[in-house]
Amino acid sequence: MAPPAQSQRPSPSPSQPSGKGEVSDLKMQLRQLAGSRAPGTDDSKRDLYKKVISYMTIGIDVSSLFSEMVMCSATSDIVLKKMCYLYVGNYAKGNPDIALLTINFLQKDCKDEDPMIRGLALRSLCSLRVANLVEYLVGPLGLGLKDGSSYVRMVATMGVLKLYHISAATCIDADFPAMLKHLMLNDPDAQVVANCLSALQEIWSLEASQSEEASREREALLSKPVIYYFLNRMKEFSEWAQCLVLELVAKYVPSDSNEIFDMMNLLEDRLQHANGAVVLATIKLFLQLTLSMTDVHQQVYERIKAPLLTLVSSGSPEQSYAVLSHLHLLVMRAPMLFSSDYKHFYCQYNESFYVKKLKLEMLTAVANESNTYEIVTELCEYAANVDIPIARESIRAVGKIALQQYDVNAIVDRLLQFLEMEKDYVTAETLVLVKDLLRKYPQWSHDCIAVVGNISSKNVQEPKAKAALIWMLGEYAQEMQDAPYVLETLIDNWDDENSAEVRLHLLTAVMKCFLRRPPETQKALGAALAAGLADFHQDVHDRALFYYRLLQHSVSVAENVVNPPKQAVSVFADTQSSEIKDRIFDEFNSLSVVYQKPSYMFTDKEHRGAFSFSEELGNLSIGVEDSSNVVSAQIVDASDNDLLLSTSEKEENRGPSSNGSAYSAPSYGASSNHQFPAHSPQSSLAIDDLLGLGLAISSNPEPLPPSLTLNPRAVLDPSAFQQKWRQLPISVSQDYTMNPHGVAALTTPQSLLRHMQGHSIHCIASGGQAPNFKYFFFAQKAEESSTFLVECVINSSSCKAQLKIKADDESTSQAFSDLFQSALSTLGTP
Amino acid sequence: MLQCIFLLSDSGEVMLEKQLTGHRVDRSICAWFWEEVIAQGDSFKLVPVIASPTHYIFQVCREGITFLACTQVEMPPLMGIEFLCRVADVLSDYLGGLNEDVIKDNFVIVYELLDEMIDNGFPLTTEANILREMIAPPNIVSKMLSVVTGNSSNVSTTLPSATASCVPWRTTDLKHTSNEVYVDLVEEMDATINRDGVLVKCEIYGEVQVNSHLSGLPDLTLSFANPSILNDVRFHPCVRFRPWESDQILSFVPPDGQFKLMSYRVKKLKSTPIYVKPQLTSDCGTCRVNVLVGIRNDPGKTIDSITVDFQLPSCILSADLTSNHGTVNILANKICSWSIGRIPKDKAPSMSGTLVLETGLERLNVFPTFQVGFRIMGVALSGLQIDKLDLKNLPNRPYKGFRALTRAGEFDVRS
Repeated sequence: MAPPAQSQRPSPSPSQPSGKGEVSDLKMQLRQLAGSRAPGTDDSKRDLYKKVISYMTIGIDVSSLFSEMVMCSATSDIVLKKMCYLYVGNYAKGNPDIALLTINFLQKDCKDEDPMIRGLALRSLCSLRVANLVEYLVGPLGLGLKDGSSYVRMVATMGVLKLYHISAATCIDADFPAMLKHLMLNDPDAQVVANCLSALQEIWSLEASQSEEASREREALLSKPVIYYFLNRMKEFSEWAQCLVLELVAKYVPSDSNEIFDMMNLLEDRLQHANGAVVLATIKLFLQLTLSMTDVHQQVYERIKAPLLTLVSSGSPEQSYAVLSHLHLLVMRAPMLFSSDYKHFYCQYNESFYVKKLKLEMLTAVANESNTYEIVTELCEYAANVDIPIARESIRAVGKIALQQYDVNAIVDRLLQFLEMEKDYVTAETLVLVKDLLRKYPQWSHDCIAVVGNISSKNVQEPKAKAALIWMLGEYAQEMQDAPYVLETLIDNWDDENSAEVRLHLLTAVMKCFLRRPPETQKALGAALAAGLADFHQDVHDRALFYYRLLQHSVSVAENVVNPPKQAVSVFADTQSSEIKDRIFDEFNSLSVVYQKPSYMFTDKEHRGAFSFSEELGNLSIGVEDSSNVVSAQIVDASDNDLLLSTSEKEENRGPSSNGSAYSAPSYGASSNHQFPAHSPQSSLAIDDLLGLGLAISSNPEPLPPSLTLNPRAVLDPSAFQQKWRQLPISVSQDYTMNPHGVAALTTPQSLLRHMQGHSIHCIASGGQAPNFKYFFFAQKAEESSTFLVECVINSSSCKAQLKIKADDESTSQAFSDLFQSALSTLGTP
Repeated sequence: MLQCIFLLSDSGEVMLEKQLTGHRVDRSICAWFWEEVIAQGDSFKLVPVIASPTHYIFQVCREGITFLACTQVEMPPLMGIEFLCRVADVLSDYLGGLNEDVIKDNFVIVYELLDEMIDNGFPLTTEANILREMIAPPNIVSKMLSVVTGNSSNVSTTLPSATASCVPWRTTDLKHTSNEVYVDLVEEMDATINRDGVLVKCEIYGEVQVNSHLSGLPDLTLSFANPSILNDVRFHPCVRFRPWESDQILSFVPPDGQFKLMSYRVKKLKSTPIYVKPQLTSDCGTCRVNVLVGIRNDPGKTIDSITVDFQLPSCILSADLTSNHGTVNILANKICSWSIGRIPKDKAPSMSGTLVLETGLERLNVFPTFQVGFRIMGVALSGLQIDKLDLKNLPNRPYKGFRALTRAGEFDVRS
């Protein structure tokens, strides 16, 4: 992240003061006014204050005026006061000594007869956030909580929370939480009640880890009487407070279905609230309540559909987007329920790209036998759109629909029409799709090849598309008359080809072509192998060498390796695991939905308190176990790193989801194996196919799985993990040599995560880049809640893994270690 | 909860910063954000919820002003966005529009407003009626008053009584010399007509806007002649749910002044009031354009402010377009705008001309979408009709006014 240089960023406004001169000028003028009681003083003060604050707003440091500002603040003018409070609030933290000066007049204002001033003063007093001044807060806050005016009480409740963040001990000692609780359950003003609730929720959940009582209190918030109390007062709350209450209620577990229906009946009108946030919070509550009742759950979907669709069309583009993200989640969960509403997902010309993209994904999901024709017709119109990214996305969408439908005749015709549009990006996208389509429906090859054969390879520039075309040239060398010659021209331009992927495909295609039509291709093959051997790219070089040796060894073996009989791919792997989707669903109405990943993957470490991981992972300083001396600067760095890490992770996850199945050409590299489901061994490991190793591996004697069973749905939150990791001693520390298949599969940290998850061992943090990876895993025993924690450092170039295992129950840690290793040993095997 | 709010000008300058919690958000985040905007070319293209290296940012853009809110914790995204939208609404209501100058001139008021709207990162009240009682808007009247009385404070000295009243959106003792209430039906028609001229989608989004100046605590009931056509409705918090549920009657105690009583959606309309028929034929590097506009389904009132806009594809070198009615302008960003106004009685407006394509291009292969605008006073195209408005609890007979208006929303005609 950039250093905070922008505070000095030149402002474009011409009135920008040059700096020091003006500030000291102001200082002089303020001093002159400080003691003056002449009429009109307030007006001139106000002008000066305005100037000071506008400087502050622009970003000029005016903290040197602190004492003058405070001196001038003895006034009855409320606007002056407000400006002064604002100024003081901004700079007090940096000047704790002078802040003491302001305490006096703020305390005096807290006793003013005007409730507005009392409230404002109290708010400013609590906003000073200077640790050594907390003693002055307790008195005014105590009075504030008992004030006759609800405005002051409202401010005071929030003040308690602010005090808690400055000094938790002071807040607890003064017994404020108990007072808040009393207010929450008795105050006539709904806003006071809501503020109490939000303050108490925060205080008690932070306290809960240290104090039994606080965690009991936190539980008590979810008890039936309290929840019913809030529900009964629902209509009194402001819209924002309603969101808060609804969120609380969503955590409550009703005892029986009658209760659930009562709650839903009571809250049904909230679905028609003008505030989108309230509507979404209600929807979340309804979905949560009915999770276990399948029929009702479905009815809830039907019921919430209309409000969601209205929200999408009524608000600003920003609101629409947030609602659409949630709608997207629901559509992906239950596409058939939305299949009749497909017209709502049609894109309008003026919508922004991100909205259109979500809509296209939803259109893809809801397509079924009855509406496919209309959806595809609509999508085809976008393909001719002025907006190129959308045109691309819609072609991909057509392809995805084709891949998920049984009746694809019409769609294939449409796709082939795209190829005739003669626009390079349309052609490129379509080629990739046709290739995937052929892998699933080989029976279409005749029609497709006829059209693809007419495409000049000169018009295809994008690597993905080129690779797809080349793949088809190789695969259908028999049907395409001029395949060898097209390949030959491509090989002639080998040196101009920048993409290694294309060169790899070229090698394979030329091999395939050679095996089918040897006399015509021999020359091209020779040229390709020679060029490949001289290639600077390691993979290309290796593959060329491999083919060369293979041909030297035996042509019939080469035939088996390069051109084995293929089965049509029946299902392309879903890129996002259903478990992750469930997690996101549980976090409905949160940022997770917008980012399309569960919060544990992205929320800031500062709030879950797991700095040590991100810090270690950030720089991979293996062996740095001590996290207690992490200074604050590092903390910021660490959280930066972590966020960056998660964005790159996101891109990786997104990549396949948007174009993954479309682009996963049969790339003969282990790197792609995570895109295939483990249950289709034929396609799962092309490299094994290639090497003819499939049988050899399964006959490998695997280590017997030890008799320890793990809970496949174990959960542990990061802070608990971190706490345990600090507390427990290392019970097993072991070095382990990984098998080469495993290492080959380990091109990204994710591949191991998915693999281990299959063995009921869950990852909580991971990071690093080849060849060094670092993971933290956890697992739980199936029968009891005994937890195992693992730190695993893998160096993929030396095939070494270091394991550190910590366990609640040390007697079983060796058994777990064996289990972990046996799981690790199967990485990369089908 | 939200940790900080920034207001940025259209050049990315930080106009205002409001820290909300003890966690101080550095201004550098705005610089980061602005670089993202520049990278995207336009803040409208940027996703409203983005992750910066340190914070999650909500952004809402209104009239060139960007409202930014930062947080580090998980929270309902709509809460952040909705709140920023309300802030924008309240500010533009207070300041009579939004622009850089008006915010800079009134930043003290903006600070005061934010102070009352959000505390410790949690939104308190965003009801303009309540805020107006706490902080007086900077209008001419209050300026006059301050000159006359010598009290230049723009803060009312009394607390809003509404905070204590049982109807939180209304003060108890309002007095107006003339009692009047206006009900407006404002509808927007969204339609998509595809390349074959088929109406793919046509729906109406409508609002019932009420402007009420009534004394005391009036109780209003508004009923429609045909409420069954409404597909989905959303209400202002003042509307009582039960009467609607049982009899489709809107029963409410109105806030004072202008507010949105209800919004609704009507799906599956069968036809549009006007037709737009574009024809594009390409030949040898030029493309002939011909667009016809006419009345399809006469709504019974005059259709005015008719416009047809479209984006010229980038492969077009020059365009020569003329019309037999109205004016055709080609703007710098290659948007061609044809403003027709009203359709004359004696002829059907048409625009025609030629587009010259890039050299090497035989025929046009991207097809522009024509966006249509119109306005019809006096008609709600959905067919929704107000039956009657009853007022109770009023000292004297008030004046009641009704109006209707339909305009084009997203009205796309593809070619």
